[in-house]
Amino acid sequence: MLLGVIGLAIGIGLGFVFPGYFPETLSDYMGIMLIACADSIIGGLRARALGEYNDSIFISGFFINALLAAAMTYFGKRINLQLELAAMVVFATRIFQNLAILRRNLLNLNAE
Amino acid sequence: MTNNHYDQTPLPGQDDAVQGEVLSDCPLVVAKEQQKAPPQEPVHTKRPVAFGVFFACILFGFLLSMQFKSVDISSNALTSQQLRAEELQALLNKEREKNQELYEELLRGKDDLSQYREQALQSGDYATILADELARAELAAGFTDVVGPGLIVTMSDSTKNPADTTADPSYYIIHDNDILQVVNELRDAGAEALSINGERLLATSEIRCAGSIVSVNNNRYAAPYVIRAIGDPAAMSSALSMRGGVIDQLSIWDIQVDVQQSEEVLIRAYTGKTTFQYAQEYKDNSSQEKGE
Repeated sequence: MLLGVIGLAIGIGLGFVFPGYFPETLSDYMGIMLIACADSIIGGLRARALGEYNDSIFISGFFINALLAAAMTYFGKRINLQLELAAMVVFATRIFQNLAILRRNLLNLNAE
Repeated sequence: MTNNHYDQTPLPGQDDAVQGEVLSDCPLVVAKEQQKAPPQEPVHTKRPVAFGVFFACILFGFLLSMQFKSVDISSNALTSQQLRAEELQALLNKEREKNQELYEELLRGKDDLSQYREQALQSGDYATILADELARAELAAGFTDVVGPGLIVTMSDSTKNPADTTADPSYYIIHDNDILQVVNELRDAGAEALSINGERLLATSEIRCAGSIVSVNNNRYAAPYVIRAIGDPAAMSSALSMRGGVIDQLSIWDIQVDVQQSEEVLIRAYTGKTTFQYAQEYKDNSSQEKGE
């Protein structure tokens, strides 16, 4: 958890220091990929809290989910269907679910 | 890790009951059932360091702030374009005022000039001859207002809706070429002075496409174009409207050309600047000896 926060801080700092920015066409995909990444990280934290964490599963899920989300957005654009909405809803729902589980687990541990 | 919801791989020391509880929605039940299982070790003590989460968070944070920046920039770009438009409008207004002032200055200068000329005229015969010559040269060059019989030709874009036709809509608007043709035809028929929308045509005048408008003497004019010509009205009129002539050709595209004959057409003088940067008078003293 602490590592995650430190990593996030480092990442945000790097991002602001880094010169340049995404072109506008890419930023459509970046949005959905960010949600996918956020979902993966929350899921990973949950798994850690439950003690079922596995590095390789986490890393593979992190990248594959993000890429799948971007691919879905692209495919949706090609067939004129807002497929990214489907991905967005799924990811957001899972963020809420995982966060709820994580929250219960943390509160529970503190109570002990 | 998103997949864990589905493919849970319990670590040793954890039984299925614990995971079941945690997934349940009631925190009270969770608390109670965990108390019921005292042999369970605290989960967080034996967790390995998750470098995956660490690096993922770095990447996530990086992408997140990059995306923030990108969205900021693209939304700022819009507002800065609007600001730019306002700025340009202000500049244009200032430039217009300056233009007006310069024009007034020019008119004052012309007044002064004509006064000097009158004074010069009174000073002697030689001055009179020079003044006559100057007047003729100015008439030919287009620096004096001229009046005489002639034509007023009004060209306007087609009224046809371009959506009703399959042809290229640009055929239905007036191009620089169309005006050039008309002017050329008028000159051929003996036009002595010409103006387009009040802009006097000189020997150096251009008639050129400038986007959707036409540039004459480097000033831009939009349709309808009013061409004034001084010359023989009948000759010029028939030159324009002969079969297969300019008007005939333009009527294919429904471009309106209205030709009006008038006994008194007034054409204003050229008011711009004339500086010859490259051309110089050629003085060849031997030309007479060569019998030229």
